[in-house]
Amino acid sequence: MPPRISTSRLTQPQTCECFRSRSRKSPSTPAPSTRQFHATARHGTRLRRNMWEWFQGPGRVFREPLPGSTNYLSAYDKQGNLLRARRNQQEDPEDQDELDQDEDAIVQRELDQGLDDVERENRAIDRATKRSAREEIEERGGIPPERQGDMRPYPLNQSFKSQPVLSEDLREQLYVQVVHYRHDVSSVAATFGVDIRRVAAVVRLKTIEKQWEEEGKQLAKPYAKAVLNMLPTTPFKPETSKPITPHEPINDLPVHPRTRQQIFYPTSESRQFTREDAAKVFDSKLLPADQRIPLPMLVDLERWKLQGLGREERQKKQREMDDAARTAIETAARKKAAWEASALRTVPGRRWDFKFEDISAEKVGKDGRGRQAVGYRYGMPHEDRKRGMVKIPTSVE
Amino acid sequence: MVLRLRLSRVSTPGGAKRHHPRYNIVLAQARTARDSKPLEVLGTYNPVPELPVGAEPGDRKVKDIKVDVSRCKYWLGVGAQPSDTVWRLLSMIGLLEPKYLPTGPQTENVLKAVRFPTHEPRAATPAQSRNDGPVTKAIKDNTRAKADIGAGTTSPMNPNEA
Repeated sequence: MPPRISTSRLTQPQTCECFRSRSRKSPSTPAPSTRQFHATARHGTRLRRNMWEWFQGPGRVFREPLPGSTNYLSAYDKQGNLLRARRNQQEDPEDQDELDQDEDAIVQRELDQGLDDVERENRAIDRATKRSAREEIEERGGIPPERQGDMRPYPLNQSFKSQPVLSEDLREQLYVQVVHYRHDVSSVAATFGVDIRRVAAVVRLKTIEKQWEEEGKQLAKPYAKAVLNMLPTTPFKPETSKPITPHEPINDLPVHPRTRQQIFYPTSESRQFTREDAAKVFDSKLLPADQRIPLPMLVDLERWKLQGLGREERQKKQREMDDAARTAIETAARKKAAWEASALRTVPGRRWDFKFEDISAEKVGKDGRGRQAVGYRYGMPHEDRKRGMVKIPTSVE
Repeated sequence: MVLRLRLSRVSTPGGAKRHHPRYNIVLAQARTARDSKPLEVLGTYNPVPELPVGAEPGDRKVKDIKVDVSRCKYWLGVGAQPSDTVWRLLSMIGLLEPKYLPTGPQTENVLKAVRFPTHEPRAATPAQSRNDGPVTKAIKDNTRAKADIGAGTTSPMNPNEA
């Protein structure tokens, strides 16, 4: 049976010539007519009319993104008004008047009213926070910061919330802190509220970025800028009273695969069963939770706070611990350097180097089977399966 | 029977292999088999040049040698005979004079081979010499005098005589 599709409906060209050698302008295909999809076309369907209405009405706000803010659908109502801007206008105008007044005058008035010290202090703190919030709003051009509800890019997916990413300033600052000021990665992570692994990744990527800039490679800066404009970012504001905004929870205990099993472990009531014991029950080599936590010094800080130590005392203790850690690292480095100087020799050859290391041949022990000894061992099979070999351990932990 | 410092090809790790030589530097009786159990294992020698772990691009390959320098020195001192290969290796760190030397001005450079500072003769500290008793002091002085003059041709009667 012949094909039912008429040849005129086939878009396929009628020639078998290669598309490369074929002439561009085929006389058989007609020139494309005027575009159906056009702003001035008025002859469209109802759906198309609706679309154009939306483009010129509520959808107009999405053409130019808000500066310094996300621009998601769920932040607007159906008429295209920014929801959080309306909320801001509903605030009490009396409060606004009070914020504009001089601080001394307010204090004097409160004294006249006969408020006690605690009450006045609370009010002063309240005013300070409100003032800083208002300054921030003014900085953003009168638009208040996004709330959780404004962070949903997909209106039908309520549980998807857009998470903030590191801003360019903050990334640069992390790099400067680690590379130029030589702070260790964990303290930088604790100070800036960014995960240790993220800090390390930022430092690595920034290093590559600087290297590329040195080499004169072109970076995709406009792309990065466009993406960062659309996403919520964690800022770094060095000139303000609160320069650091915590980025994420940093001290979450990672779930070790060994701890995923449920174990029924009978133990005596009189026994103190601590985290160390629990770790040993899960796995003989597993470290206790206090040591597996990413930033154990934060736990120490909190513990000192609960013990009731003063601020100065805590700082002093922290400094002592930092110094001890630094000394330990330096001592280890010095020891290693001394060992290398005394025990390692490299003799350059024509095509390769000979690397000599001084070792102790005494480590083989009395039976010549020491496990720490250098040198390949000689024909002595393990005897632990032999009859009569006593396998009682020689020491008990 | 002569004691020799020599290489012994070992099959470990991972069993015997062709084209994968690994040696122990051993002290053994001269007439025993090469791979038999030696008197003492003094170190290892990997004759295959390899890039060290964590090498940067452009680093040179190295032949890895581990050796107990003080033990080797002791055995050489009591008359153990190194094989040619071991002689070549030990002369690189200044335990022996090189057996074969290039002729010409290079010779001097070769003789100034590196030496492990831990195995250099220790200089007597002033604190030590102050605490020495008269007998120890006399013996030490004698030794020093001998060292200054050369080989020991001392009188059996007078220890202080050169």
